[in-house]
Amino acid sequence: MSRRSSGTSVTLRNLRSLNILVLHPEDSDGRELLAQLERIGCRVKAIWPPHDRFEDDVPDLIFLAVRPEVIDMEWAWLKRPMHPPIIAVLTYENPTIIEAMLRMNVSGVIASPVKSSGLLSSIVLARHLYTNDMERARYAAKLEQRLQSQRKLDRAKSILMQTRQLSEDEAYNLMREQAMAKRVTTESIADAVIKASEILSFAVEKKIGS
Amino acid sequence: MSSNFDPIRIGVLFSETGVTSVIERSQRLGTWFAVEEINAAGGIHGREVELVAYDPESRPSRFQALAKKLVSEDGVRVILGCYMSSTRKALIPVVEKSNSLLMYPTLYEGFEYSRNVIYTGAAPNQNSVQLAEYMTRMYGSRIFMVGSDYIYPYETNRIMSDLVLERGGKKVGEVYLPLDASWEDFITLVKRIKGLAPDFIFSTVVGDGTALLYKAYRQLGIDPARMPIASLTTCEAEVRQMGREAAEGHITAAPYFQSVDTVANRACLQTLRQRFGHDIVANQCWEAAYFQVHLLADAMRRAGSDEVEALLRVLPGSEFDAPQGRVRIDEHNHHTYLRPRIGRVNGSGQFDILEETHHWVRPDPYLISHSLEEWSTRVKVVDPSP
Repeated sequence: MSRRSSGTSVTLRNLRSLNILVLHPEDSDGRELLAQLERIGCRVKAIWPPHDRFEDDVPDLIFLAVRPEVIDMEWAWLKRPMHPPIIAVLTYENPTIIEAMLRMNVSGVIASPVKSSGLLSSIVLARHLYTNDMERARYAAKLEQRLQSQRKLDRAKSILMQTRQLSEDEAYNLMREQAMAKRVTTESIADAVIKASEILSFAVEKKIGS
Repeated sequence: MSSNFDPIRIGVLFSETGVTSVIERSQRLGTWFAVEEINAAGGIHGREVELVAYDPESRPSRFQALAKKLVSEDGVRVILGCYMSSTRKALIPVVEKSNSLLMYPTLYEGFEYSRNVIYTGAAPNQNSVQLAEYMTRMYGSRIFMVGSDYIYPYETNRIMSDLVLERGGKKVGEVYLPLDASWEDFITLVKRIKGLAPDFIFSTVVGDGTALLYKAYRQLGIDPARMPIASLTTCEAEVRQMGREAAEGHITAAPYFQSVDTVANRACLQTLRQRFGHDIVANQCWEAAYFQVHLLADAMRRAGSDEVEALLRVLPGSEFDAPQGRVRIDEHNHHTYLRPRIGRVNGSGQFDILEETHHWVRPDPYLISHSLEEWSTRVKVVDPSP
């Protein structure tokens, strides 16, 4: 039996370069959390009560005590779609708190009393899920963009085909040549074709209508 | 409430039977020996230390059951014991729940902290890094890994793989054999290794399999000077079990070898021989088992009791002149500052120390990605001949 052929994964390897923000009161859970993060060797900063902005740099991971006094807080950073991954630290594991936790879109959870075991896995899993989420979001945005530009090209092509009696290939090649000559993207030529056609057809309609 | 003259009872769980009994018996001996010294010197403020020992038979479930018995029936607050990680893992819920203390005198794979455990054996940054650095420098970086089939070998091999890959090396094989693998299993394996001709073999085989591996190696005529077995666990106890002929020329990294030349070691070995005869051998696990009892006794004297809360206030940060040199328990992670060394088995079954660190090395049990550079302050060459 062989276990792995390549080395240890990047998520694990980079653990010690993580900038971790702990938003937790300085009680026994908070102290145990900080002590274990320091044993693991992460760079840690602890703040309580939590505030609305990150002063210096944006953390790579946030431990957040999700408790009654914070669940209605309106933090600007929390509303951003790509806020740093959060691991919730729960004292009360009841529906009110769990719903609050879902609204915060957390990537992991640990329950009080905080123990040294389990923390490392939570951190790695939260970072892993967050990285995957980011990659998926980037991929989705790229697909959406590609879809939009494809729609534009198709529309511009059909305009050219109709108005100039060109074949599909000829229409495409015409736009491509124009793009190369003007050193712009084919998409922006397609844009121009669509806009021009809108203006012209408006003018034509007016003429006919008058 | 016990009177001030009642003995202080301490639990001991080292296997006297089963696959890892050879090394665990030597840990038991180290424990006994230290307690005799402590009692001879007046005990803990006049109170004698009394050991309550059972045989957990190298089985995790047995370790757990006996630990429960020790804390609930025997009224013990401190347990000295465990070799395999699987047995330590079985004990941790028991000591955490009962708020007792386990002192664990064995090298292991790291990634653990319990406020109820003190770790006195080497973490990977105190033996694996040094061994990888030495082996790749002296022999090359095509490595074949063989281990027993449990967690310690998996994790130790992960670290070794990273270190070897960092050197541009290559893993030519990675094999895990059951703890009770047979002679034929080892012969088949060593034939395969011989065919692949790696630069060296990294073995995380523990227990009785160790002797079989080294014997199979000798039987198939592989020259250790050209293609040695490197290990973190093969020490004097295993060498004695397999016979010096099978062991000679192979290499181990450990914080202690019997051949360490310190005043404390010479004095300790002299007393040991007077007590148990000239035939007795020491080793790294024996030494950790020995010095951790002295650390515990010192802590009990300072704390004035064997109450776990009191002990946990004084044990972290405490130091002792162990046979390997001065050691210290880290305040934050409960592991121990130790002194990495590289040794090679000589013709008399002892280790020639090839290299050693100038200072103790801080334990870093959560170090995921080790680097060969870390030992740059590393070693003085004791014997430059390869």
